[in-house]
Amino acid sequence: MFFHIFHYKILSFLKTAFDKRAVSIVRGVGSSLVFCGFAYGAYIFAFSSTRFMLEHTRTGLYLYHTFISMLLFVLFVAVNLGNIIVSYSTLYRSSEVGFLLTKPVSFTTIFIMKFFDNFFYSSTTLFVIAFMALLGYGSYFGYSWYFFAGVMLFVLIPFMFLSACLAVLILMAIMKLAGKIGFRKVMTGLFALYFFFIFLFFNSSNPVSLVEKVNRYYPHVDEYLSHAAPGYLQYLPTQWVAQFFFYVAHQEVMKALPFAALLLVVTGAAFALLLFVAHRFYYRSWLVSLEVQSAAQKIYDPSHRHVLDFRSRSVLPPQVEVFVKKEFFAFIRESSQWIHLVVMIILTGLFAISVSNINLNLHVMDVQMLTYLVMYVFGGFMVSSLALRFVFPMIGLEGQPFWALRSSPIKESKIFLIKFIIGFVLVVPIAEYIAVASNIPFISGSELHSTLLWFGIFNAFWISLTMVSFNLGLGGFFANYLERNPIRAASTQGATLTFLATLLYLLIVVVILLFPVSEYFEALFRFKIFHLRTLLIAGLCISVISSLLSILGLMVGFRSIRRDF
Amino acid sequence: MIQLQDVTKKFGSFTAVDKLTLTIPKGEFFGFLGPNGAGKTTTIKMIVGLYAPSSGSILVNGFDIVKQPMEAKQSMAYVPDIPFLYEKLTGREFLYFIGGLFKIQKSLLHDRVAELIDHFEIGLWVDKRTEDYSQGMKQRITIAAALLHHPQTIIIDEPMIGLDPRSAKIVRDTLHKQSQNGTSILMSTHSLPVAEELCDRIGIINNGKLVFCDTREQLQLDKAGHDGKFESVFLDVTKQS
Repeated sequence: MFFHIFHYKILSFLKTAFDKRAVSIVRGVGSSLVFCGFAYGAYIFAFSSTRFMLEHTRTGLYLYHTFISMLLFVLFVAVNLGNIIVSYSTLYRSSEVGFLLTKPVSFTTIFIMKFFDNFFYSSTTLFVIAFMALLGYGSYFGYSWYFFAGVMLFVLIPFMFLSACLAVLILMAIMKLAGKIGFRKVMTGLFALYFFFIFLFFNSSNPVSLVEKVNRYYPHVDEYLSHAAPGYLQYLPTQWVAQFFFYVAHQEVMKALPFAALLLVVTGAAFALLLFVAHRFYYRSWLVSLEVQSAAQKIYDPSHRHVLDFRSRSVLPPQVEVFVKKEFFAFIRESSQWIHLVVMIILTGLFAISVSNINLNLHVMDVQMLTYLVMYVFGGFMVSSLALRFVFPMIGLEGQPFWALRSSPIKESKIFLIKFIIGFVLVVPIAEYIAVASNIPFISGSELHSTLLWFGIFNAFWISLTMVSFNLGLGGFFANYLERNPIRAASTQGATLTFLATLLYLLIVVVILLFPVSEYFEALFRFKIFHLRTLLIAGLCISVISSLLSILGLMVGFRSIRRDF
Repeated sequence: MIQLQDVTKKFGSFTAVDKLTLTIPKGEFFGFLGPNGAGKTTTIKMIVGLYAPSSGSILVNGFDIVKQPMEAKQSMAYVPDIPFLYEKLTGREFLYFIGGLFKIQKSLLHDRVAELIDHFEIGLWVDKRTEDYSQGMKQRITIAAALLHHPQTIIIDEPMIGLDPRSAKIVRDTLHKQSQNGTSILMSTHSLPVAEELCDRIGIINNGKLVFCDTREQLQLDKAGHDGKFESVFLDVTKQS
């Protein structure tokens, strides 16, 4: 039965993927070219950063693999959180599940099909990026082709699969608890617990303290840190994968293999446990999800009128007023929207507090410049993720009720402008906050401090503008009005392409920044004369490029919302 | 009043609507019939501005929907075949949302919303989110929203789907009264009895072309020429073309 359903799902996928219409072919070829370009970029980035860290900064193998372990932890959490959220839609709110439940198909078969559906849907991009990063990393060490194939099949995919299995186990536990104590209480408790563990992890293997130790022991970093890792790390799959890479890099394959074997065994056990739990509990938890949904039905008290009530008077013009209120309620009443925003704000806050507290007491120009650029890229990456998650789906999430707007006497330009302003107001304060926080470690004690800070604030404005324009515009271009789940809408092929395009933009910004920033640090550490015009020229270049890209994004988006609906 | 002149809509090489010319004068209740895929919904979507016509012109109450879309939309109302609503809003909020889009003054809007809630008997659940509504509930909210701004023209696609007999009667009576008060109505439907009961004139579209267009009186003669049933007339004209 599983293969019968799978066969038709593949047929359906192939018909969509290989649509022979000219527009689809052009779009497909274009997407593939851009995707290949970025895959190559990931390869180059992994290769260059490995070489830079090991040769230029002489980080040492152990420390470098500790960094890799942290990146793997981020990947693990990303896959895990993504699967928890998306699985709720695919396993419990999918109309396909409702359809199949009326047919003689076992619950376990439905579960397995939806689980794989979900895993491959939400992780395909991560597979590609992980593989290309692996290629870049492995090419530095000169590994042969079977290393890459073997590691991908037996290490990285099982690693991500383990994360997905745990995610769905957590989700089923949530559903079971929700049936007893209520969905809201469970979610609040679980998120608190989840972030407590993430906080614990980063507190004990803190990248900030790592950077500080690097500064303290530079350049003999490896020997000081080789035994500094906390003991509990050995129980984490991220550490098994990092240790595997470390021993392979050390040419001690026999020491590496047990880590891969351990990962495979644990992944197999997790999948077996998942199947067992699903066999016993999936259908019951599906019924619980129905109860949870009906319990959430609520009749609002019409006598209670608050300031944002549609009936309340407003200083805004009527069309703007009702549109903004509609956007507000659509956001605040969709738990996956506001919870995700709160999570991202907390993570941004943690990042900003961490980086602003870095004590850069090592006066080595290259390390300071590298740290500055890494933090700059990471800050840009956070802004890009925020825009992708909340701005990209804005037009598509109008959904099928978009007819109500399109057939009303409101200009499309007004709809687009309001959405742009909402996105910009959301993104720009966070971007500026990150910019200020990540500049603090570099400005204290410097006479040039305000220059770099204002330059960061200036750039954050242009980066926010470009991210919002690009995500809103391409979100309109790739809009799928049938997709009601904002998280799925932000993880489509179009969303991935947009994300990659914004990363390319960030790369361009960093390249523009290289010269003025190196001049700045040279002036700071080598007492050379700093010419303000280098910053002005870089700022001008960034503002011109950002303006052009913003206009391009906005034009694409505006044209797209005027398409036939 | 609606005037379509040589309106064509093509999707790639497929012609969904082919040089359609039709005039619906003020106060006329026009029934728009046709088999599945004949071009009814495409025509309606062009009239309300959801599709751009490939060629031809569409005037709604004297305003060209392509050149003067705001004026045209302000003067008409549209009820789609599937009543998708913003799920996170309540029915009452949706009504206020639409009222705001049509720039109705708040004081007038309060009275109008209360009046329509009462008229369509939706008070019991109008303060629930629309995601919890049945198809019929959504349909009633959509029709109520369409009447908020006293439109001169109503375009309504399959209005009776999902309605219980009592609600269907309320909707039929409401549309009939609107038409008598001078509102032009274009109603697409698959229900031949409803079309016969309500419409002053009936058009049948097939393969994108208008293959039949007669008044209710003329329809009686056409029926007599067949076996006395409108169904036979419908099957005949849609088969021939």
